Amino acid sequence: MARPTEDERRIFELLRRHPFTRALPENHLQRLASIASVCQLQPGDYLLREGRPVDAFYLLLSGRVGVEVYQPDRGVIPLQTLSRGDAVGWSWALPPYRATFDIRVLEPTEAICLPASELRQLMHDDPVLAVSILKKLLSMVASRIQATRLQLLDMYHRENP
Amino acid sequence: MNHSPVPHPALSMPTQGTFPLFFRVVRRQRETPDTYTLWLEPPAGTPFAFQPGQFNMLYVFGVGEVPISISGPAHDPIPVVHTIRAVGAVTRALVNLKPGDLVGVRGPFGTSWPLEQAQGKDVVIVAGGIGLAPLRPALYHLLHHREAYNQVVLLYGARTPRDLLYRRELERWRGRFDMEVLVTVDRGPREWRGHVGVVTTLFDLAEPFFQPANTVALVCGPEIMMRYTARELLRRGVPEEHIYVSLERNMKCGQGFCGHCQFGPLFICKDGAVFPYPQVAHLMTLREV
Repeated sequence: MARPTEDERRIFELLRRHPFTRALPENHLQRLASIASVCQLQPGDYLLREGRPVDAFYLLLSGRVGVEVYQPDRGVIPLQTLSRGDAVGWSWALPPYRATFDIRVLEPTEAICLPASELRQLMHDDPVLAVSILKKLLSMVASRIQATRLQLLDMYHRENP
Repeated sequence: MNHSPVPHPALSMPTQGTFPLFFRVVRRQRETPDTYTLWLEPPAGTPFAFQPGQFNMLYVFGVGEVPISISGPAHDPIPVVHTIRAVGAVTRALVNLKPGDLVGVRGPFGTSWPLEQAQGKDVVIVAGGIGLAPLRPALYHLLHHREAYNQVVLLYGARTPRDLLYRRELERWRGRFDMEVLVTVDRGPREWRGHVGVVTTLFDLAEPFFQPANTVALVCGPEIMMRYTARELLRRGVPEEHIYVSLERNMKCGQGFCGHCQFGPLFICKDGAVFPYPQVAHLMTLREV
């Protein structure tokens, strides 16, 4: 196996500290580091656009992005904010690998970028890695669903009858 | 800590009985479109003291009486401060009072936030909606005795940006170097540059600022918000006995006589409204209690 480059070592360290990947064993982190890069994003950039192919999975290191949806009569509706420590989306893992919402950068943001097709290939080649990532993804999906359900309850509306 | 149903002797106020005293409205301030803060002056020479977390019964003559938490500083209790959301006939009448008007006051009643027990610990305050009002005296206390506490973290969630209470104070608190303030709204317009999501989603951001095992958490908001917040605190390792919630029911007498606020074996008005979470956790998921 080739020696990791300096970039890979840096990304390995970032992955080792990120809440989404920090529980993974070293060999898995090394494999992820070998395909990952760190990207700098500016306000107004879009990580994902609704309906378009999802080409990467992002792990946020700093900054803030918004999950948004556009409705013709209401304009852009912010649904949720994601920030440091969050992972962005799961459409990269599910066919047809197309985004279901917009993800817009709200402030200067740094993220680990894992190319979706290479990540899926790594998971295909290593089922143990795949299970670890999917378990973490499931936990993330569960907490986002719970948060969404609480949002739908509109719990602060007339809370003191 | 004052979790005994027996009132602390120092808090035996002339206002604490069955009959209200007349307090005069000296100031009124709009907080949000439906929420106002009133400053009430007791009759000359009448002492008034309270502990953070306690409430008064406010009586609008000819309309009715409601329990309202005290939201001012306990170290500077007069005039007495109440933040009121207009949701019914009495609260609507209260928020429409003007400086010079009289209001009947009985109190203070109820238990208080465990601020003595929290000394030397991290304190995480989680407020939802109008729930920030009963927690504000606790925040004032923590900041007034800042050296007695370790980290102070405020997580505050509201429905929309325009429903945020005490905006100027939130901004001032956020500017302090000795506390962390994280604010979120359930629904934000596109121009809102803050966090969007329920209050429990702030815990990931707050994680670096407190040590769960050494944390006391004070939680107030809609009951469902408090249930999910308590679960999140437990999941992160905050000991169950270090979590406190403030409950609301239809309180009438304020002294545990009438039974309107009965909650299982408890009376919210005299056994609460602040409860250790383990005391009420099993009741919070029971139906028809």
